[in-house]
This record gives sequence, structure tokens and C-alpha cells, in this order.
Amino acid sequence: MKTFPVIDIKHHSAEIKSIYFKQIEPDIYPGQFFNVWLPGVDEKPFSISDVFQGIMEITVKAVGPFTRALVAVERGDFIGLRGPFGTHFTFHHHALLVGGGMGIVPLRYLARMLRQQGFHFEILLGARCEKEIPFQNDFSEWAPTTFVTEDGSLGYQGQVTEYIHEKIRESKLSFIYSAGPEAMLIRVMEEAKKAGLNYEISFERYMKCGIGICGQCVVNGSGIRLCKEGPVLSRNMAETVTEWGIPHRDATGKRKV
Amino acid sequence: MSDLLETLFLSKIYQSPLVLASGVLGLTADSMRRVLEAGAGAVTTKSFGLEPRKGHACPVILPYHSGLLNAVGLSNPGVDEMVKEIKKLHQESKGGIFASVFGKTPEDFGEVTKKACEATPDLIEVNVSCPNVASEFGAPFGADEFSVANITRIVKKAAGDVPISIKLTIHCPSIEKMARVCEENGADALTAINTVGPGMLIDTGVMKPILANKVGGVSGPAIFPLALKAVWEICANSSLPIIATGGVRTADEALQMIMAGATMVSIGSGIYYKDIEIFTHINQDLTAWMEARHIHSLETIRGAALE
Repeated sequence: MKTFPVIDIKHHSAEIKSIYFKQIEPDIYPGQFFNVWLPGVDEKPFSISDVFQGIMEITVKAVGPFTRALVAVERGDFIGLRGPFGTHFTFHHHALLVGGGMGIVPLRYLARMLRQQGFHFEILLGARCEKEIPFQNDFSEWAPTTFVTEDGSLGYQGQVTEYIHEKIRESKLSFIYSAGPEAMLIRVMEEAKKAGLNYEISFERYMKCGIGICGQCVVNGSGIRLCKEGPVLSRNMAETVTEWGIPHRDATGKRKV
Repeated sequence: MSDLLETLFLSKIYQSPLVLASGVLGLTADSMRRVLEAGAGAVTTKSFGLEPRKGHACPVILPYHSGLLNAVGLSNPGVDEMVKEIKKLHQESKGGIFASVFGKTPEDFGEVTKKACEATPDLIEVNVSCPNVASEFGAPFGADEFSVANITRIVKKAAGDVPISIKLTIHCPSIEKMARVCEENGADALTAINTVGPGMLIDTGVMKPILANKVGGVSGPAIFPLALKAVWEICANSSLPIIATGGVRTADEALQMIMAGATMVSIGSGIYYKDIEIFTHINQDLTAWMEARHIHSLETIRGAALE
């Protein structure tokens, strides 16, 4: 663990901000995460939202005490970073990227990499409202992008999962990447199964060590650790897990009721 | 797995002398089953108490060049949840299951042991030596002979037919004397050693200790020689079987522990260095070592370095 100065901050909305650091490791792949330490507060995992020209970026929404403190950091503040940790997205042709809420964040770096490699892909992003979809311009510039919002303030009104089937069929897509709320991810897995497609999905669980030893983020079924064998799981791996959709374990290790 | 590694410990035969140490991956049945499938002869649960505990804020674990610092703070879902996980693991695996328990008071130790034994673990490991909860619990019981004697008696009584092992710390006036105290008060085995220290690391950017608890127990390669010497001393002075733990990462280090007199060898931080397959690899290397020397049982080399 080492602390690094924040070199820039970008506001997407009142609640969502990107925080920039010099790139601290040479090899950082989309889907991987860093443990971010706010001295005196706590340490939490955040997936990387971009690495570009020697600068790395995390993007955070203020929802709890930790993220509220994190979006309040200023340029020049020292923040602890450990990582990159975990598995990452691998590159596939003709993919559909399905992001919901802050699950949009890791897909941003993935989209940049897919575009750099010259892959064809399309994007489907959903959130409650327009303000909760960061990086709209980047996504739209890099690939055909469909936005879906619950209040209709951007793109179609509704749920992102309603459009997966249509997108796959119309654009002849053969692979799915996804990140977002678990209820959405379960729908994505169902759609992928129906269409006979493989996928890579980024899942979330309460994490502590980030390095595969404390056992806090183990999931039932195969007993894999989401900080080590995840957070990005292939379809084969995701199907070894039997606890999708049930309450997560909290800091004690007990499932929330 | 070759049966060369079969090890008799407290009247049960284990497929390998290797054990998953407490505190690492010991939260759920599925997680522990994975470790058994990788080749551990037994797994030790995360230490649990009567009630769920959040433990300390993060960072709770910090690797440095010679080992790991940790102050997880005994986070656990409580005995009721852990009993379910142990029962589930029993149904799904033939491997050994050691239940690690702690209490805030000697009476707590007895109560949690009683409940834990509903799941019939193969062993109750008594964590009297966690160095990371001093601000809340006071100095570890493991430093004081009177407390250890008292807890040993209470747990032994509460455990009924389930054997008990007391997990010792090197931070006591004399570990060999402590071992005798445990033996005299009814312990069936000893686990040595818990993490050392605690120690500290400071971030020079923000000029503050990094662990949220500021201090944390030191484990990993840094403490291997300390653990080995403690095991050697205990074995020279006690007839109880020993679960040796502290910085083991290789078959050579496991052999050193056995030559110092250990019966079982636990691995915790080793998983950080070599991942879960460390059990598979050490088993293979131990077997190869034995075959090359025509040794048919680890019993023949146990304590060889004591003379």
C-alpha cells in the first residue's frame, strides 16, 4: 500500500465524480479493481474506469459514508491505492456491452480497449436518469450506443434488460459483457443463455483484503473468491455459483436479511 | 493423493499433515471444501465467538516485503452461522474440520465451545492469542498462565468428547511452561504459533499508520524461524501433538516443522504467496522427498531435530 496524490477531478453530476492519478502499474486491464484507502475512514474496492496516456481514473458515486468522503477529495490529496486486483474482461468480436447504474464505469475502459483493438461492438446502458450515466459522449463516439432511463430523460424509457434480445438479434452480436446491479445481471445471464451466447460479467461482493486470503468475498457453490477468481467471471465460472440474487454477506460474514 | 502422507492426529487419520490455518478462507463450507480438495488434510474455521462481529475497518491486511500484517479484528458471523457451515462441510467432505473459537471472557470460551460442538468438529482450537483486539479485550489471555489454565479447563469441560488445542503466542514469559500448563489442565493438543507482535507500518504520504487498527499481527516468512523454534521448544518439553503454524510456504519448511516435532502443519499466509494450490504442491513435494529417501511415514522423522 502506498498513497498517491490526486492529480485531477472531474464532476459528472452532483453525486458522480472521476478521480485521476498517475498510472501506478504498467498493466491494468478493464474489469480489474483497486482497493482505495481514505486514511482515517476505510478502504473499499473500485473498478478502474479508464487508463489513458499514463493517467488512471476511478469513477465514484456518493451513496454511503465512504463514497461521500471519497467524492469530497481534492486535487493534491493523498489517497492509498493497492492493485490492480482480480480478473479482467478479455477481448471478443461482435460483443454487446450491457451496463446498469455504476456498472457503466468498468465498461468505459473496456469500450476504449475494444475500440483500440479495432473490434466491432455495441453498447446498451441504463440508469435511473440521464444524470446517472457518465461518459455518454465517449460511448456514443466509440460504438453504436443505446441509452435507457427509468424516467425517460435519456434514450428509451424503461429497463436496459428489455432491449438485450432485440440488440443481439438486429446487430448479430455473439458475446455479452455486463456490469451493474445483480438483479439486472441475472436477467443478462438468462438472456445470454436463451440466445446461446457466452459472456463475461463483473460481480460485486463485500471485500476486505483484495488478495484472496481473508475469505470475505467467497460465494456459495464452487466457493470461489470474487476478489481473486472474480470480479469478472466467464459464463462457465458464473454458472458454478449458486448464490446469485440472494442477500450478500456483510462485514461480519453473515448474510443480510 | 499418495497415502504416504497419512497422518494420525488425536486418534483420527488425516490424508495430509497440512491444515488450513485459522483466519484464512475459513468463513464458509464451500470455501473450506475447496481447500480440502486442493489437498489440505484439515481446515480450520475463521475464529468465531458468540455473536456476529464486524471486526476492524479496512485496511485490515497489508502485505510487506517479508510477510503480512493483519488486524481483521475477529470479524465473524457468530457461532450459530458457523455451526451451519461446519455441518454442511461435514456432509460434503471427509476432510478434517477444526473449529477456532474465541471469547471475551473465559466463560464465553466455554459457551461458544459448547455450541460449536453441536456441529461435531474434529477439534476445538482455542484462540487465546489474537493480538489485534487489545483495545477492546485487553492483553491476550495467551500471555498469562493463570488465564490460559482457566480457559483450558473451561473449554475442555464444555467440549465433551471433542478434543481441544490451545493456540499459543510467543508473547508469554515461557512458551514451554505455557505448553505444560495447557497439558496439565486438559489440553489434547497445542497450536503454535499465532501471529507475532503486533507490528506497524506507516504511510509516508499521509504520515499515518496504514492499518485502520494502527497495529496488526505479523505473519508469513518473517516469522517462520520464530515459529519453528517455538515448536521445537514445546516438543522438547511436552508430549502433546502439535499443529505448527507460522510462515510455512514450502515442503522444506513443512519438513522442518515436522523435524522439530510437529504432527500437523498449518498454512495461512502461504496462500497469499502461492494461492490455494500451495496444498497440492507441498503434498507433491513432500511425497517426492519421502520416496527419494524411502521413508514410508512422516512418523519416522517426527522430532528428528530434537536430539
